[in-house]
Amino acid sequence: MTYLVAAYAIAWAGLFAYLAVIALRLRGVRTELAAVEELVREKTEKRDS
Amino acid sequence: MALANRETKIESQTASAGTSKRPPGLPIITLTLGTLSFIGMMVSIWAIFLYAPTDAIQGQPQRIFYFHVPIAWIAMLASGVLAVVSVVYLWKKDERWDYAARAAAELGAVFTTLALITGSIWGRTTWGTWWTWDPKLTATLVLWFIYIGYLMLRNYMGRTPASARAAAVLGIISFVDIPIIYEAVSWWRGLHPSAQVGVAGALPPEVVLTLMISLSTFTLLFAFLMIQLYNLQKMQTQAQRLRAIVE
Repeated sequence: MTYLVAAYAIAWAGLFAYLAVIALRLRGVRTELAAVEELVREKTEKRDS
Repeated sequence: MALANRETKIESQTASAGTSKRPPGLPIITLTLGTLSFIGMMVSIWAIFLYAPTDAIQGQPQRIFYFHVPIAWIAMLASGVLAVVSVVYLWKKDERWDYAARAAAELGAVFTTLALITGSIWGRTTWGTWWTWDPKLTATLVLWFIYIGYLMLRNYMGRTPASARAAAVLGIISFVDIPIIYEAVSWWRGLHPSAQVGVAGALPPEVVLTLMISLSTFTLLFAFLMIQLYNLQKMQTQAQRLRAIVE
C-alpha cells in the first residue's frame, strides 16, 4: 500500500508542479513580451517625432 | 533605405507581436481540453481506486499500472509527434513546426521521467528491486537520455535555424527507439510483462475500461500541454526577436 501511495503521490505532485511551472513561464513571457513591445513602441514614437 | 527597411520591420514585428495584447482569455480548444482532462482525471481516480478490481496476485500495488501505462504511452507518443513535426520542419522550413517539436520534446522528457519513477516503484513491489537492466527499461532510459540531449542541444545552440535543423535530425533519430521499447519484451527475454490489452480473456473488462479511461485522459492532457508549450515557445521567440531589435 505504501508503494501505491508513493507512486501516485509522486506522479500527481510531478504533474501539478509541472503545470504550475508552465503557468509561471507563460506569465513571465507575457510580461516580458509586453515590456519589450512597449520599448519598441517608444523607439518608434521617438523616431516619428 | 536600410534604416527605412529596419523600421518597417520593427513595425511589422510589433504588429505581429501585438496579438499578445488581446484581453486574456482561453481559446475554446484550450478550455475544452483542459476541462476534459480535469474531468477525465477525476473519473480515472474513481475508476482506479473504486471500480477496478484488486489484483489477486500483486494486490493494491498493481493499481500503479493504471497511471504507469498511460504515462509511458505519452512518453512514446511525444517521440512520435517529435519525429513527425521534425520531418515537416525539415521539409517546410516553417518555424511553427519547430515550436511544436520543442513542446513535444519537453513533454517527452517529463513523461519519460515519470514513467521511469512509477515503473521503478512498481518494480520494487513485484520484482523486489528498484531497477534492473531489463531490455524495455534500458530502452526507455535511452529515450530519456535522448530527450535530455535534445533539450540540452536546444538550450546550448539557442533559437537559430541551425539549432532547429540539428534538433530536427535528432528528433527523427529518437523515434528509432520507440519500436525497440514496444517490442523489447517480444525480442528479448526480460522481467517486464508483455502487453495484455487486446489479448482475449487476458484482463477483466473492468481493468481494460479503467485503463482506457486513463489512457484517453492522459492523451487529452498531452494535447492540452502541447498547446500551452507551443504558445510559450512562440511568445519566447517573439520576445527574443523584439529584444534584438531594441538592443
